[in-house]
Amino acid sequence: MEGTQGQIRVEVWLYGPIAKYAGRESRGSYAQLFVDLAPGSTMQVLLDLLGLPDEEKGITFINGSLAALPGLDSDKKVELRDGDRVGISHRKAMWPFQYRFGVSQTDELKQEFRGRQDRGVHHAYGQSEEDSD
Amino acid sequence: MAKLLRINMTDRSAVMQDVPEAYKLLGGRGLTSTIVHDEVDPLCHPLGPCNKLVFAPGIVTGTAAPTSARVSVGGKSPLTGGIKEANAGSGWAPALADLNIQAIVVEGQPAQAGEWWGLFISWDGVKDQPVVEWFDAGEYVGQSTYDFYPQLFERFGRVYVAAIGPAGEFLYSNSGIVFDDQEGRPSRYAGRGGLGAVMGSKGLKCIVLDRRGAPGKAIADRETFEQGRKKLTNALMTHDITKPKGALNSYGTAVLINILNEAGGLPTRNFSSGRFEDAAKIAGEAIFEGNKERKGKELYNHACSPGCIIRCSNTWYRPDGTEHVSCQEYESVWAFGANCGISNLDDTGELIRLCNAYGVDTIEMGCTMAVAMEGGLLAFGDAKRAIELLHEVGKGSPAGRLLGNGTATAARLLGVRRVPVVKGQAMPAYEPRAVKGIGITYATGTMGADHTSGYTIAPEILGVSGKVDQFDRDKAALARNFQYATGYIDSTGHCLFIAFAILDIASGFEGTVEECNGVLGTNWTMDDVARIGKEVLDK
Repeated sequence: MEGTQGQIRVEVWLYGPIAKYAGRESRGSYAQLFVDLAPGSTMQVLLDLLGLPDEEKGITFINGSLAALPGLDSDKKVELRDGDRVGISHRKAMWPFQYRFGVSQTDELKQEFRGRQDRGVHHAYGQSEEDSD
Repeated sequence: MAKLLRINMTDRSAVMQDVPEAYKLLGGRGLTSTIVHDEVDPLCHPLGPCNKLVFAPGIVTGTAAPTSARVSVGGKSPLTGGIKEANAGSGWAPALADLNIQAIVVEGQPAQAGEWWGLFISWDGVKDQPVVEWFDAGEYVGQSTYDFYPQLFERFGRVYVAAIGPAGEFLYSNSGIVFDDQEGRPSRYAGRGGLGAVMGSKGLKCIVLDRRGAPGKAIADRETFEQGRKKLTNALMTHDITKPKGALNSYGTAVLINILNEAGGLPTRNFSSGRFEDAAKIAGEAIFEGNKERKGKELYNHACSPGCIIRCSNTWYRPDGTEHVSCQEYESVWAFGANCGISNLDDTGELIRLCNAYGVDTIEMGCTMAVAMEGGLLAFGDAKRAIELLHEVGKGSPAGRLLGNGTATAARLLGVRRVPVVKGQAMPAYEPRAVKGIGITYATGTMGADHTSGYTIAPEILGVSGKVDQFDRDKAALARNFQYATGYIDSTGHCLFIAFAILDIASGFEGTVEECNGVLGTNWTMDDVARIGKEVLDK
């Protein structure tokens, strides 16, 4: 799979209410679309192109690896490559720790977790974080 | 003072006993596992007279503690051959606590096969104790649960019912014990491990509870209890996962479908892949949108049992707006959806409804159906044939019996080599090769593949007996502590889903300990949690 005229093509899945940012590709509860980007584009470029606001973006995957969670936006600077698959869930989606313990994670997210005192052993990192510990 | 009720199915006696000193601080899974450990010969036949079936509400069940209406059921499993605990949320659990019964222990077996009995337990205001009446339940045998539950309500009024369906009567290893939800639907299952067959082997069709006039659960220190209840309530009301209109209340547990699919962790077509191309069509978000379209408004989920704040149980509606089934939860939708290559929520809904009707565990049944697909009995994705075969399970035909005795049995009979079971029990909806932590739980759990045996709670508590670091190469301490934490929550009577909030909000966790102290008059601290959980696991 290649993008047009030297561009890269990325497969994007949007889940839940944020499917609306796929426009005509929205199937209501989800959307699958292919996005052409300039080589070297990051996740931030993709998000800007989609018009997806940070406050609506939830659990995010890049090629099956967990890349970001609400409150841990460690995916923005990741450079995308031709053929990548990006999956983004809406803000309400959840993934309890015991059901993601040992899954593939991007290097950037691992670094984020390693820098935390709790080493990432939490269910959510957003609004509830201030109440933890 | 709470009593232990012993039901002997051999001589049809019912005896109220004082609770032994050693059991006084136990509840839920802690109590059922202890009684099974103390009284059941590990070498006995699980369907013979020496096995016992134990029902116990949790420590705080029957109080105003939020999300605490769980009943634990224990016995030796015909599916795994080991100790088994399954639990369910239902009004039946607080009704048992209200009747001042700390546990029901069902023993023995009728001399004559084919006898079916029901128990009616109510409160005798004169004697100031529960009273047990026996009734012939033969007229309910062979019927769908959806047919005989209304008959029981008509006969006894608004009572609470624990029962088996035809699967339990046939002694299937995949049969569960069903409890009624708040609308009286036979939809809340202590599903795993074939405990329905244990009940069936004792000729016990149902246990009906009438709580009218009952004194209610005693609380030793109401002030401490209230303090704890408020802390936990606040945690559940504010955490993103558990709060009203949060993840679970909006999308149900099936909100995990898209997530696990992206991670390559959604077992597909009998665990031959970790990603299903139509996952988004059967996800919680699709359920929400589908119901919105069919009912013309947004629907949020309901509580399966009294006093639940999380309210994660959904109802699926047909295209004409009439109710189809409750509920399409993550494991069930996955089992008949991705794992069977079926991508239509009306089909998964019908298959789940039939499991409820016949009394089988959706996880075990879905995995068995997928093995049957791999074995050539039907094609992957053939929902019509899957529905026909599930009716055969309910009828007890030869094909139905082949499919009703668990995934491992069906695989042997069909010559299938890819058999997703651990200790004889089918794996739930987390592909252990992608979610390696849950693989450790499956492998080390005493009850076979069980996604509910290793829940995470606050790191400072988990850290009591080991490091809490997901990157540590030694995963054993973390996995063990997850299982201790789960043993504790299962003993309190709280739904395991409170763990989502109390991992992140430490005061909520403190609240659960204070609730227990309030009920029992103890002085437990957070450090006791690992000990309590360990004692459950050691059984």
